[in-house]
Amino acid sequence: MATDTMWTGSEKYLCDRELAQAFHMARVIGMPLLIEGEPGTGKTELPLQFAQDMGLDLFVYPVGSKSSVEQFVAKFDHVKYLRDSQVEILNAQREEKGMKTKLSTGGRQTENLQDYVLKGPATKAFSTPNSVLLIDEIDKAPREFPNDLLYALSHRKLVMPESGEIIEVKEENMPTIVITSNREQELPTAFKGRCVYHYISFPPKETMHEIVEKHYPTMNDELQDKCINLFYQMRSLGLERAPATRELLSWIKYLNSFKKAEALTKVNRVEGMGVLIKNQKDLQKVQTRLMGKNPNNN
Amino acid sequence: MFDQLPETFRSFKLNADVRTLLQLRQAMDKGLVKTVGDLFYVLKGLVTTSPTDIGPFSKAFYAHFLSINIVPGEPLEEAVIRSDTFQEWKDKLEEDEKIDIPDIDLVNQFLDEVHTTSYDIKNFLSGQDILDKRDPDLEDTDAPIDGEASDKTNILDRMADYRDVPLEELLKRMREVAKHQKTRHEGGDYWIGQGGVSPYGNGGAAAGGIRVGGAGGGKMARAAINNKDFYPVDAKAPLRDDNIDAALAALKGIEEASTDIILDVPVTIKEGLKQGGIFLPIEKEKRQQRIQVILMIDNGGWSMSPYIRIVQKLFAKMKTRFAHDLKTYYFHNTIYGGLYSDAARTKFEDLDKINIQDKNYSVFVIGDADMAPYELHRNSIRDWQKLNKHFKRMAWLNPMHENEWYGSMTCSIISQIFPMFELTPAGIEAAILEMNRKRNFQ
Repeated sequence: MATDTMWTGSEKYLCDRELAQAFHMARVIGMPLLIEGEPGTGKTELPLQFAQDMGLDLFVYPVGSKSSVEQFVAKFDHVKYLRDSQVEILNAQREEKGMKTKLSTGGRQTENLQDYVLKGPATKAFSTPNSVLLIDEIDKAPREFPNDLLYALSHRKLVMPESGEIIEVKEENMPTIVITSNREQELPTAFKGRCVYHYISFPPKETMHEIVEKHYPTMNDELQDKCINLFYQMRSLGLERAPATRELLSWIKYLNSFKKAEALTKVNRVEGMGVLIKNQKDLQKVQTRLMGKNPNNN
Repeated sequence: MFDQLPETFRSFKLNADVRTLLQLRQAMDKGLVKTVGDLFYVLKGLVTTSPTDIGPFSKAFYAHFLSINIVPGEPLEEAVIRSDTFQEWKDKLEEDEKIDIPDIDLVNQFLDEVHTTSYDIKNFLSGQDILDKRDPDLEDTDAPIDGEASDKTNILDRMADYRDVPLEELLKRMREVAKHQKTRHEGGDYWIGQGGVSPYGNGGAAAGGIRVGGAGGGKMARAAINNKDFYPVDAKAPLRDDNIDAALAALKGIEEASTDIILDVPVTIKEGLKQGGIFLPIEKEKRQQRIQVILMIDNGGWSMSPYIRIVQKLFAKMKTRFAHDLKTYYFHNTIYGGLYSDAARTKFEDLDKINIQDKNYSVFVIGDADMAPYELHRNSIRDWQKLNKHFKRMAWLNPMHENEWYGSMTCSIISQIFPMFELTPAGIEAAILEMNRKRNFQ
């Protein structure tokens, strides 16, 4: 693992210093990095951009309410195994009757249990040296899922079902593991104890300018200032679901499709709120508080 | 110095144990800790587990490593100025030249140096380009702080670099410093520093006109201390609007295992193969999450009125977030043969009708259980017992403080029938743990 340097972001991604430090530390001591923070602050982007920037293989496991460690590590395909074993019996019967043609098992052999193991992202990442493994939104998982992960994460070793094959990774080849969470449920303490924890705090205005700059380097300064000012104004309104970086970037993308003057009037009129505000109550609040101030808009 | 670390951190209600020390040691072995700033980051990553840990963590760190003890309500700056560490640091700074800057401004410099990480130093070392395009308005501030500030090499000499110091040596030094701090007055070297070499850079980095780190850890740590966003919600406080989310998180612990029967494919196949190709279906119970909740709320007396709205809000939130099935009943003080299905208590439902519902409901009774002794007569007690017999998972949540329960006769009777918990986020969590335990052993 190339851990001697600290990764501080790429052309498209600004990794703030604290996050960079936590990420570096996690990589150096080979622990997973657990990132929490508001939705839309670039938690998931970190490993994606890191893998792309460093040219590493990336494996993603999006967690859902039905996630299980089986999907994550490896699953034994019982149905295929049943089918192939039946095919073998059939083939033997055909041979007895002197038939030449055989049914195919697609190269799989029933004695060879490994052929029926469907490898999940964890196994793939563990068998690819220096890869990146993202476990996205772990808080959506059933309660026992994080605990089931503990063994795999702390022993650098995975045991394949049925075949008993062991996938082991050397410490220096350990994949970079990033886990994200939106704090929808509290994760078990034992699990958190095995991760390096980082909470992404919302970027201050100056950083936001840099982020926007990274995504839209040609954007007009005046427009950028106005957008960001308005955006932070909205965040200070105490909305139920305050817009985050992701929403701001989509809004700017929308504005950028217009000419400068037109875009400016759109900002002044607070248009295109659909990408920023996702809640009827919030929208009303924004309309009364921000648009009321605006003389252009009656 | 490190031996007591888990103890100190635990006294700040943080999770720290031997594992933390081992992980820290590992991080040190890998060369991640070269300055106090590094130590702050590494420990923060290892110890904190939620944003609300960051405040207590910063306090614990300052107390443990820098002997800066923050009295509740006191701003960080004042605590820093009070501390010996700061005074020693200032003395050291003044050795060469008297500094005419108010303490409060020096605190910023002190904190910046405390939080200077090896990454900052590395940037500084390789950052010739930063030096070249120095910010002009920062340059103005150079001169008064330190006369030799422009002498960059000098600063770097004084910037401690522990890269080549073996871990054992580092630990030994720390222990010595700890001893010094106990006997005080030894002066000069504080914490990790020794002689003229201090990881803080001793008026180095910041005085050099370059804010290595910029808006770095110092700022964050300052923000974290005394800011309620970075403090844990008091789980023992009565349920209120501002801790309702903590209670909601606790409610999420209610899990239900249903008993749907599905085909067990792996076992069927294995057995079939053993039988030489005759496959007999083998079934198993399917487990899935289902949350069914019944609420029984005492909305009678004035004593309960402050809590009704918040309880309803809590469970309404639960319903929109993750529950599928929520029923609410009302009663006044206690029950006689049944409950009411509306808040005005006009629609009476017979107990027998309630008792034929799915026994897998989690039932929360919310009430103070405090009434005139004659109200809770034998029949009423029997009704409660009937309910408790049918619903395996039932708990009583009481808005009164636990100390007051035993002062009320009716309350102590009811607490013998049901497990009783305080109506606080912590109490709700305990109630759910108790319920889940029951499920597992029934």
